[in-house]
Amino acid sequence: MAPNEDGSIGSSLHGVRAREQVFSLSVEDGPSSQAIRSDDPTAKFAIPVDSEHRAKVFKPLSFAKPHMRAFHLGWISFFTCFISTFAAAPLVPVIRDNLDLNKTDIGNAGVASVSGAIFSRLAMGAVCDLLGARYGTAFSLLLSAPAVFFMSFVSDAGSYLAVRFMIGFCLATFVSCQYWTSVMFNGKIIGLVNGCAGGWGDMGGGVTQLLMPMVYHVIKLTGATPFTAWRFAFFIPGFLQIIMGILVLTLGQDLPDGNLSTLQKSGQVSKDKFSKVFWFAVKNYRTWILFVLYGFSMGVELTINNVISEYFYDRFHLTLHTAGIIAASFGMANFFARPFGGYASDVAARLFGMRGRLWTLWILQTVGALFCIWLGRASSLPIAILAMMLFSIGTQAACGALFGVAPFVSRRSLGLISGLTGAGGNFGSGVTQLLFFSSSRFSTAEGLSLMGVMAVVCTLPVAFIHFPQWGSMFLRPSQHEERSKEEHYYGGEWTKEEKSLGLHEGSIKFAENSRSERGRKAMLADIPTPVTGTPAHV
Amino acid sequence: MCTLHLIKHKSQSKAYSSSSHKPFFHIQIQESMAIKKLLFASLLICSMIQSSHGATKERLFTDLEKGALEITATPSRTGEGVVLAAGIDKLSITWKVSSTATKEPEFKTIKVKLCYAPISQVDRPWRKTENELFKDKSCPHKISSFSYDPTVKTAQSFDYTLERDIPTGTYYVRAYAVDAKDHEVAFGQSTNADKTTNLFSVQAISGRHKSLDIASVCFSVFSVVALLVFFVNEKRKAKIEQSK
Repeated sequence: MAPNEDGSIGSSLHGVRAREQVFSLSVEDGPSSQAIRSDDPTAKFAIPVDSEHRAKVFKPLSFAKPHMRAFHLGWISFFTCFISTFAAAPLVPVIRDNLDLNKTDIGNAGVASVSGAIFSRLAMGAVCDLLGARYGTAFSLLLSAPAVFFMSFVSDAGSYLAVRFMIGFCLATFVSCQYWTSVMFNGKIIGLVNGCAGGWGDMGGGVTQLLMPMVYHVIKLTGATPFTAWRFAFFIPGFLQIIMGILVLTLGQDLPDGNLSTLQKSGQVSKDKFSKVFWFAVKNYRTWILFVLYGFSMGVELTINNVISEYFYDRFHLTLHTAGIIAASFGMANFFARPFGGYASDVAARLFGMRGRLWTLWILQTVGALFCIWLGRASSLPIAILAMMLFSIGTQAACGALFGVAPFVSRRSLGLISGLTGAGGNFGSGVTQLLFFSSSRFSTAEGLSLMGVMAVVCTLPVAFIHFPQWGSMFLRPSQHEERSKEEHYYGGEWTKEEKSLGLHEGSIKFAENSRSERGRKAMLADIPTPVTGTPAHV
Repeated sequence: MCTLHLIKHKSQSKAYSSSSHKPFFHIQIQESMAIKKLLFASLLICSMIQSSHGATKERLFTDLEKGALEITATPSRTGEGVVLAAGIDKLSITWKVSSTATKEPEFKTIKVKLCYAPISQVDRPWRKTENELFKDKSCPHKISSFSYDPTVKTAQSFDYTLERDIPTGTYYVRAYAVDAKDHEVAFGQSTNADKTTNLFSVQAISGRHKSLDIASVCFSVFSVVALLVFFVNEKRKAKIEQSK
């Protein structure tokens, strides 16, 4: 099952938003997966599975073992980590008085809270490959829970920044969650599954804006002073992380057939060389364009999670509670906005191919950024709320649409590219917070508008993403005999020796399936498989 | 803050408990999308109502009568470099109406507040001084509020213990005289117009508690130990399975 190389490094996030076909009738083994193939694949599962025991159906209301259970454990873990990372944001009006913070301190702590994940997201891919998604998630949850509890020790700007930095590491659960769903769900539905998991997890950034002020208020009612109550409030995200960590370890399962450590590995597991995978990811210029783009869709979203509650509290003289509700609506829009973005990308691809996907991405992200500019300039509360909601839908849908493009940039380095893109989101958030929200140079309102302008400018590079076989926003596909074939693009990631060993077959199969990215017109034409490629197995 | 009302779906029957004051709304999972839209709409309406309340507040600080109240605030501990401890130290506040006050007949209530000195406002835009009274954030801490008795002409005083939610900073005391419409008409402060004299410093409580510290260490240790226990256990089980 070549496209499903679970054992190989670099495939850790394969299937993220890719509609990879599972060749259920393919006889050839090739680099095999870690799963056992039993003779009766559907006997022991509650939902229909393919020959690799990946679920073919997505039933969000079911908790059936192991597929839907993995989905729910994965997205709830990710959701919990978002709650912890942004738990401080709605309480900043209290924390800044307790710790005597100034604007620079608050801004720097915000930058720190998203920076840790840049590295932890890159490392998580390898952790999932080595230890499985369960331990990847559990490590993230249970090892960062102490950082959440350490808020009770914080006494000045420096310790506050350090603790927020350490809590931020847990955002690596994004990678482990997407890895887990990719392993459990068939390529045809993985787009929707990952869009839902990503979007519902991101909602945590919104829920925390509601949850923390509420918890703080309840603790104050029991008689605690404000400066103690906020510290105690952090115990709630801490408890959630511990509970989820234990649930993941007890109820979860790494793979459809069992846990990684107890499974016997059948067949040949050929692991790709990390150095090669890394090189092809880094060499491809499209990786870096996506890095920047995600930095200004997800990055902007992360920044808003940190600053929006304080902004509404200060500018419109609201109570902590009300500001929290408004800020929460921003994050909650993720529930439907991100899956919608993925869906819009799919529909555009059906009609116009990859060019449609790129245009969808550009439109959604630019519209979102324009509404961000409007948000900064709105001086009345209802207009600000309206601008914020439209901005949230645009930006979050852009996140979903971006992961409709990412899986096609490379087949060999898919996992690493997804990890790098994810890290780009955090990097963008760090940059925007540092530039616009960490000094007294700009008011928060000015900062929001300037961030919107920067996002518009940094979304323009999407016009430079060009696929020879599919074209780009403004250029048609190449007319060249060889370069216009998908096989040439994906085959180009392998050397002649590797091709002679047949290691590239997974990429060739992927290339055949990706012909749908040519759009409706090209699909109607008859496209023969080139002789140099692997003959299609029937 | 206005209550958010969720409009019930027509196809659902509602069970109203006759003994409760507030109706109980039952939300179906399938309605979550519709509910979110309604939530947003009602939030919009609420905020419009809220903002309309503040529509006429353009009264300026510069319109108030200066020095109508003479007020002094004496900390319980004085001296060079003395920093008062929140929750422990006191201020002894003495005030009287100045003989030069012209708006005295309008006074209904006296509101005494703790205000930030300019040094505590640096790099902290949420404490900014603004001329529009409703925007001004420099005096957020209420000390006391009492009705004005025009028959008493002599100076009155009271003690105020610094609250435990006062942040670290440098302060002075200001008293506003408020009329029957709850509009400020005059003020007096314990410092000069430039806010440079008679300032006092306060050190906030840390907010930390020994019990909180111990609890967080316990839970942190539990978290890490739980992970290690699971990890080691599974590795051991895997070894046993493999050796079979």
